Amino acid sequence: MSKPLKLFLKLLLAVFGFFAVTFTVYIFNLDMKLTALIEPVLLKHYDRIERDKHL
Amino acid sequence: MAKKVGADRFGDFYIDGGKVRKRREWRGLADTMYDYSRWLKIMTILGKFVMNPRNVKAMFRYRWMANYLAVPMMVDRHTQGLRGEYLRICHEEQDLIIDDVAKLLNNLFRGDRRIGNDEEFSKKVVLVDENEMTTVMMGFPNLKGLSRETPSTYVSVLLNQHAAEHYIDVAQEFGLAGDVCPMPEAEAGVSIDDDAPVLGACALQCNTTCDGSLLGNGVISRRLEKEDGIPVFQIAAPLRHREDDVQEYAAQEIRNAIAFVEKHTGQKWDWKHYFECARRVNYATKCRQEWLEMNRTPYPQVFGSNLALYTETNYMAICGKIPEFERADRRITALARKAYEKKKMAAKEYRHRAIIWGVQSHYYMDFLVWLLNCWGIVPLTDMLSMVSTRVLKEEDTPENRETAYYDMAWLTENMIMRNRTHGGYKVLLDELWEYVEMFNADMVILWEHMSCKALDGMHGMFEEKAREKGIPLVWVQHDLFDPRIISRQGVRDQINTFMRTVMNEEPIDPSLEVLHDEQSW
Amino acid sequence: MCTLTETHRLTFVSFSYKLNLYSLYYPFTRSTHPNRCTKGRSWLFRPEREHTVKDLKHLAFFENLLLEANNELIRRAQDEGRICVAYTCENTPEPLLNLAGTFSARLRAPRTGSMEIATYYLTSFLCEYSRALLERAIEGGFNFADAIITPDGCSMMNRCVENMELLSALGKGKDKFFYEYMEIPMKADDNGLALYTVQCRNHILKPLAEKYGIDTSEKAIRDAVAEHNRVCELIRAIGDFRKEENPRITGYEFHLITLATYAAPKDLLIPLLEETLEQLQTREPDEKSPFRARVLVAGSEIDDIDFIKLVEECGAYVCADRFCCGSLPGRDPIVLTDEEDALTQICRQYMYRGQCPRYMDSTKMDNRRIYVNDLAREYGAEGIIYEQMKFCDPWAYEKMLGSHILREEYGYPVLAVDRPYTIGTSAGQMRTRVQAFVESIEIKKIQKGGANG
Repeated sequence: MSKPLKLFLKLLLAVFGFFAVTFTVYIFNLDMKLTALIEPVLLKHYDRIERDKHL
Repeated sequence: MAKKVGADRFGDFYIDGGKVRKRREWRGLADTMYDYSRWLKIMTILGKFVMNPRNVKAMFRYRWMANYLAVPMMVDRHTQGLRGEYLRICHEEQDLIIDDVAKLLNNLFRGDRRIGNDEEFSKKVVLVDENEMTTVMMGFPNLKGLSRETPSTYVSVLLNQHAAEHYIDVAQEFGLAGDVCPMPEAEAGVSIDDDAPVLGACALQCNTTCDGSLLGNGVISRRLEKEDGIPVFQIAAPLRHREDDVQEYAAQEIRNAIAFVEKHTGQKWDWKHYFECARRVNYATKCRQEWLEMNRTPYPQVFGSNLALYTETNYMAICGKIPEFERADRRITALARKAYEKKKMAAKEYRHRAIIWGVQSHYYMDFLVWLLNCWGIVPLTDMLSMVSTRVLKEEDTPENRETAYYDMAWLTENMIMRNRTHGGYKVLLDELWEYVEMFNADMVILWEHMSCKALDGMHGMFEEKAREKGIPLVWVQHDLFDPRIISRQGVRDQINTFMRTVMNEEPIDPSLEVLHDEQSW
Repeated sequence: MCTLTETHRLTFVSFSYKLNLYSLYYPFTRSTHPNRCTKGRSWLFRPEREHTVKDLKHLAFFENLLLEANNELIRRAQDEGRICVAYTCENTPEPLLNLAGTFSARLRAPRTGSMEIATYYLTSFLCEYSRALLERAIEGGFNFADAIITPDGCSMMNRCVENMELLSALGKGKDKFFYEYMEIPMKADDNGLALYTVQCRNHILKPLAEKYGIDTSEKAIRDAVAEHNRVCELIRAIGDFRKEENPRITGYEFHLITLATYAAPKDLLIPLLEETLEQLQTREPDEKSPFRARVLVAGSEIDDIDFIKLVEECGAYVCADRFCCGSLPGRDPIVLTDEEDALTQICRQYMYRGQCPRYMDSTKMDNRRIYVNDLAREYGAEGIIYEQMKFCDPWAYEKMLGSHILREEYGYPVLAVDRPYTIGTSAGQMRTRVQAFVESIEIKKIQKGGANG
């Protein structure tokens, strides 16, 4: 197999891999499912911050 | 999984009691790939945003930043069921707004004394009210007019229905009555909770939209002026905006506001830039009118939340200052024309043509999408989209410069919502029925934002007029920013009950009738 | 001079609860029975004390006058052929409504009961004042008015009057009747003054001249100001007795008298006010004041005479009235010079002295709290009650800010309450809160070691 072809196939594989991963994340809404898990952790963190609360 | 419009049961996408949906829609190959590519674009915008360390720092400092985890879901909510040109129009709008908000956040944190603390940049920042036409910034090309309330409360609630609850509670802890509008209440809560970025050479506030907003600003300006040392100018836009004898006052307020900004920033008003922005405002008006014209026909194209959200952003916050919005206007209009020529429809069945009036529920902005998919009700236009269509002077002449003050004043007085909720009953009550006729509508859906006193005060007269005209009118009560008072399902139930009992109809998509989305973003 | 020890004092405090409960059964209400004997009602009712103070001669008249919107003096003035100009907000310059041939009447809805019809039109989210007015208008209770002029002071008031117009609730059988809506400034500055003047000209003077042929000349306006000032001077003089350590007039009595000047033709009240002032000059209060604390009441519209009475029943003497329909600053005389037209001067004084929370510029906002502090010092208030009518947006915010600032920055004990239009419907809750507030002031005094010397 020639070098350019190899490179092309690698590139194709990388593109396909990227597509396969991101499309899976996209279609199954995995991005939102992940961030939904992060939110409660952040909220707890905000509760701990010292604030100068006044009018 | 369906390519065909309306073949899905959209209710099946929801997880009972869940925060997010099971999966995204399959819209056929072309539309799914398009939606996927736009999702990638949004992820790139978000990715770039978090690559900046000061934005990460801000993420851990400001509670409202957690809501931005839900950005992609906001887009999904608004694109539900859309195909072809409708999907593309929605993405044109939503993606641009996302990009614009990301830039706004970037700028806020850059100048924020707690985060980026870029003092030179901060000196070029003028803080503007979220409920304010930004016309007075149209002639300051070297300044940034940034709103702190837009990302902290306004956009946050669009992203996450529960976003404002914490701030509402904070304001009430300090003794604010629970019956005021939760929007300024939450904005005041952000200030009280010490959760607003601190930056800027000066700030402009405005009495738009209502009594609550005006007074809420008092809470914010107190901290800005006395603690942060940021001088504040309050623009008083006349309430009776249709009257000739208030226009001179309004124009003078604009002159005074410009002078204030010049004084505190050292910048000079640039007429050339102003007239360039005015030209873009006129173009946006022309496009909006064309869309509304289409909506009068059986084949409306830019309607529902596509129209509402974009108009709010473009008309009020942008005011011709950002050229990208002009390009988006052009693309949206081209897409709408194309779809119109093909007589395309956004849902499989259009049963009713409705005018949506009143102040919409902010925590359920995609209600209009639901209305179409569940009951086949086409939201032709809404109160907040029926804004000024006055053509501004575009040419830089001495006479036009003088007129320009009146144009800016007119726009400020005619900010979205307040151009209807204030100015006498004619603009709120009488003009509704003119639009019903103009758009050939057979139904009025009246949002009753329960804390909006100006709107509530016409309750009985709306009903009497509807009876007189023989137009079915549905009240949809909500509390704007607070789903604890009336939940999204509570909002839907009001329509469901009306459609079943009064209209004697069955839903087009019964799976959408009851959704357990109380915990959802 | 009382020399109670702290223990005695605390015993008295708890005992006073019982006395106040007692007063629930023996309220000194004039209530809804105008024919009931009025004697002895004007002074604070305290079963444990003998009151020697003499009733004010005209107090019963004032009380009865305030029982009806269309009161005896309004009828008398209209019989004389004068035009009744109704209005609803303190931002309407009164002298302009009191030109020769006209008189003003600030709309009230005394003895309000059900507000069901108005609630249908306005919903239950609007303040009860706006609903009570609309209800009364629909009932025909304001048909005596020959015109109504209202500024867009707040959304609710605007909608109230707009509904009256849409329902044709006013002006029945009156061909010349008119509704006028005014834009009024939200900031006190030159631009605001220019607006105020134009609006008064276009929406008060012009329609009065065109519809009713009223003389709106400079002289006519100056004459009206002179009459207005006479009333203000009398109210001021009467009100000044509240500064006394053991005052010879109760806050309730003063409130009645002041309220009458809003609700009835001023010229017809002047002789009664003069006589009242004269009587007060020689009036002897009880040897020992029956009150336990002196408070300033600040906030939104109070035209319900029972509210101040309730506060005083709880032992708090209302020494200063900084609310709409009160005398501070509503009864400040208008000083005119010859260097400028009277209209501009009236508007300027209304604009700069106005304490309405709809004024949104920072100077005005700060001055509202400074003004309350100044009054509290001048009138010797030991505590401040911030009140707002439920659903009032402007006062909801001002009450929050004012109560915090006066407490945190000025060091006053502050009670913040919301209330219905007529206190009768929630008197028990309010009484409990005011009683607790009075006791907290007393305890603070004891802690400072300054109680009753």
